[in-house]
Amino acid sequence: MSPLSALSLRLCCHPPGTGVMPNKETEFLLVQIFGRKSYPMLKFVRMKLWFSRFKNINPFPVPRDLPKDPVDLAVLGLRHIEPDLSARVTVYQTASSKDSTGTADPTQQHIVGIQSPDQQAALARHNPARPIFVEGPFSLWLRDRCVYYHILRADLVPPEEREVEEIPEEWNLYYPIQLDLKYGRGGWDDYEFDIDEVEEGPVFAMCMAGAHDQATLAKWIQGLQETNPALAQIPVIFRLTGSSGELLASSSGLEEPSPPPPQEQEEEEDHTQRQQQGQS
Amino acid sequence: MALVHKLLNGSYILRKGLKPSVAACPFLSTRSADYCSSSLQKPVATPGKASTQRTAAGGLQEDQREVALDIPSPEEKPEVSFDKAIKDEIKEHFRRLKDEIVNHWIGPEGRPLQEIILEQARVVWQFRGKEDLDKWIVTSDKTIGGKSEVFLKMGKNNQSALLYGTLSSAAPQDGENSQSGYCAMISRIPRGAFERKKSYDWSQFNTLYLRVRGDGRPWMVNIREDTDIIQKTNQMYSYFMFTRGGPYWQEVKIPFSKFFFSNQGRIRDAQFQLLLDKISSIGFTLADKVDGPFFLEIDFIGVFADPAHTEEFAYENSPVLNPRLFK
Repeated sequence: MSPLSALSLRLCCHPPGTGVMPNKETEFLLVQIFGRKSYPMLKFVRMKLWFSRFKNINPFPVPRDLPKDPVDLAVLGLRHIEPDLSARVTVYQTASSKDSTGTADPTQQHIVGIQSPDQQAALARHNPARPIFVEGPFSLWLRDRCVYYHILRADLVPPEEREVEEIPEEWNLYYPIQLDLKYGRGGWDDYEFDIDEVEEGPVFAMCMAGAHDQATLAKWIQGLQETNPALAQIPVIFRLTGSSGELLASSSGLEEPSPPPPQEQEEEEDHTQRQQQGQS
Repeated sequence: MALVHKLLNGSYILRKGLKPSVAACPFLSTRSADYCSSSLQKPVATPGKASTQRTAAGGLQEDQREVALDIPSPEEKPEVSFDKAIKDEIKEHFRRLKDEIVNHWIGPEGRPLQEIILEQARVVWQFRGKEDLDKWIVTSDKTIGGKSEVFLKMGKNNQSALLYGTLSSAAPQDGENSQSGYCAMISRIPRGAFERKKSYDWSQFNTLYLRVRGDGRPWMVNIREDTDIIQKTNQMYSYFMFTRGGPYWQEVKIPFSKFFFSNQGRIRDAQFQLLLDKISSIGFTLADKVDGPFFLEIDFIGVFADPAHTEEFAYENSPVLNPRLFK
């Protein structure tokens, strides 16, 4: 391979990272300079083939130009992780405008929350004797930007206390109200895996905030209280890991009394304090 | 020879305490003698032809398993006894041999034949205890001098495995690699008695099923076939797994017909479908050129036979690139 074609091959190597598709002009130039049977032309053909095969395989596509505004980015991120399309995004607080010195006020970070109607109903049904937890921050990568989100969830109810769902009567005989279609073709088909899936408690709401400290999240809870009045009776415990701001290496909200991994620390708050905040 | 390899590996310490994570190149002894060791130092660092991911880590099988620190308490010091360790090993291997012979009478893989034939969904790897983590090896570009770190530990309540770390695409300054930044988790090849290699037979299934919870990063799933032919050690079939992020568990179903073939880290022009009768290992690679921390929580990995999926192979061979196939 001549040095010229080696150099041009290396130039052609750059596009795989940036997601650029080769087009007709490149093909014309390559044919003119190197010829139809040359290595750069081969690479061009391969790039065209494989890029077009892999262009749309991402089931969760993220737009290429991410919004610069943190509130918009938070909305995009929350919509990305919430599979329920009827969920409502609420902006509880936008980042305050910068003052003359150019530094943003650290206490006025943006808070954006999301909650779907199913989650709202579940929170209304939740037993006030069991506390709910604010866990986080968990990292979410959108292309090359990392955002952090917190979730409001309850622990799994032990099977003894789970309330049995009543099957309502069929009030319409013309078509079934509840349809439980199985995947199998007949009685012999069994597509279930022979393992107990990990069961976790229900998630009631999610939020993305600029700061990861308790004060900001408390403001989020207060904002949630407007749409979920039942939340005022339920004790909320904050299970936050790591310090605010910097990128965390391990982002799982574990409660480990034994030697924890280096970056994790915990803060727990008593529910009485939380109720005082709610009343003030 | 297999015993010597085990001794080097340090796994004879009465199964207590931490296993030394010494990169003692244990796989040299298990491979055939002509396989030279230089391939272990230099992974396939060149970028694949058109893939945005790097398939470099699949070629390596170094034992740099970085499991979270398992510091033994001062009371239980591991007792190192050479003779006892050798006796244990011999007993273990004969036990495995006996199991294999007995299982042959019960049915394939020790389960009755009708169960195997009628099976439509099988859990291949689950993460419910520490011994399940031992079936995986974790590598990163530290082996070529990069700065990514990756760790594997059990997740919440011992119900899942958490693969986490930091990716750093700072290229190692050794004059030969211009790109870097990958992390991988590869399953160990299943071993039978006397460390013979066994393989999985998934010929009645056609889809790979993973229950994962990621952070939005795109991963690459690589499947490697049994290395009875020496060229197969550098060949693998891969496909992308896109995680959504978020607190909900995500089910990823990848049909085996979608896996494309690559050799030595490059996608080849002549593509053929993945044949499922001798699979040796599966691996997950992250190499998306974005620096920062990542995590991936895996609940279990299974295979099932999707009746709705009838495609045999997703990629045609083009006559422009492969004129010889179309003569």
